[in-house]
Amino acid sequence: MSDELISKKEVLDLTGISYGQLYRWKRKNLIPEDWFVRKSTFTGQETFFPKEKILERVEKIQKMKDRLSLDELADLFSLNASNLKLTKESLVAKGIASDPVMNIFLDTQGELHEFNYYEILKLYILSSLLELGDIHIEEGKMLLQLLNDHQEILQEPKAVICFIRKLGMSSCLASMNGEQVLLEKGTKLAAAISVEQCAEELKSKLA
Amino acid sequence: MEMKTLGNLIINGVGSVNGGTFNKVEINGKGTVNSDIECERFNCNGTGTIHGNIKTEKGKISGAAQIHGAVKAESLNINGSASISEAVHSQKLEVAGNSSIGGSVKSDEMAVNGKAKIAGDCEAEVFRAEGAFKIDGLLNAETIDIKLFGESKAKEIGGRKIKVAQHRESLFKLIKSLFPLKLEAELIEGDDIELEGTSALVVRGKNVKIGKNCEIGLVEYSGEYECSPDSEVKEFRLI
Repeated sequence: MSDELISKKEVLDLTGISYGQLYRWKRKNLIPEDWFVRKSTFTGQETFFPKEKILERVEKIQKMKDRLSLDELADLFSLNASNLKLTKESLVAKGIASDPVMNIFLDTQGELHEFNYYEILKLYILSSLLELGDIHIEEGKMLLQLLNDHQEILQEPKAVICFIRKLGMSSCLASMNGEQVLLEKGTKLAAAISVEQCAEELKSKLA
Repeated sequence: MEMKTLGNLIINGVGSVNGGTFNKVEINGKGTVNSDIECERFNCNGTGTIHGNIKTEKGKISGAAQIHGAVKAESLNINGSASISEAVHSQKLEVAGNSSIGGSVKSDEMAVNGKAKIAGDCEAEVFRAEGAFKIDGLLNAETIDIKLFGESKAKEIGGRKIKVAQHRESLFKLIKSLFPLKLEAELIEGDDIELEGTSALVVRGKNVKIGKNCEIGLVEYSGEYECSPDSEVKEFRLI
């Protein structure tokens, strides 16, 4: 994702929203606090946003705000959709995971009747990595083990989960702040996936 | 779910206790509570000190309370000179005294009738002020209605409808020169903005109306613009 910034004025120009709406969305936590980047310009301080993220978010809000209340939208965007509960069948039907992936998931996690948000997110991360062919089944189990042991990874939007391989051995790790991971020469980064991106994709699929 | 009835915590005089979960908490003297409190009603009338967070449905602070922690309430009334070191979260919030809040404030309906000092951001659906306040962060509300009685300050103000009015001068005319009825802000942004007695670097909005006694560096508007001759606007442009 590019780091290009866009000023608040340009956001309003491009999307046609008003200051009132922008501030309301900020209040309702539809736009995360850390997207507001303050910079000094010749007219004093101005607020900038990460361009791609804010334009995508505004478009999403505009598209969905007729169907959902702002509070529901906030739930959708925040990483804590706490009262979400879905069954195995509905998850497969919504295309969160295919049947084989679901079976692998249930193999490690045990039979589940209802999936809460975190289980769904784990499933979705597993599914996206497996479907891309970036990891194999054993590594998938490793991933679930990591996520089971460290639930906090799923609550940290900045976290990035990485798979590394060397001489046929593989391992996975999570970088909580999404910093760059530097590898020794013989080691290969097999896959890297951002929790925030997964959560956003998941939410647009669930909506 | 706890089903047993909860007891009350009442301190009349000097006392020091640990916190916990109560039905009613009342501190009438110089009480000290050493940990978090959760209660239905919280009442503090003296110089209480709380070392912890407070969670209550209805809170009333009428003395010089010192709360070293955060306050969460359905409705909260501050009448004295309370100081709260962390964030305040209350659906209804009324500040009528000289209080200071060290964190941010979040509320649906907020009224400031006295002197309030907020070190963080202040968010509300409706923000009404008749007094002098100082907000070091962003004042963000759907509707902002400010009647100036003293020197007020906010770093930034944003919302849909922002109205700042100066109190009628008759009574204040004499002392006006000593105590300017001014609102100071770096940036004001909103859809409908009406200002009086405001000094700001930048004002941006759809419809901007600058009333008397303003000093504005730059006005940017996209709809209507009006400016009273008593005010000074250095630059304005339609965008």
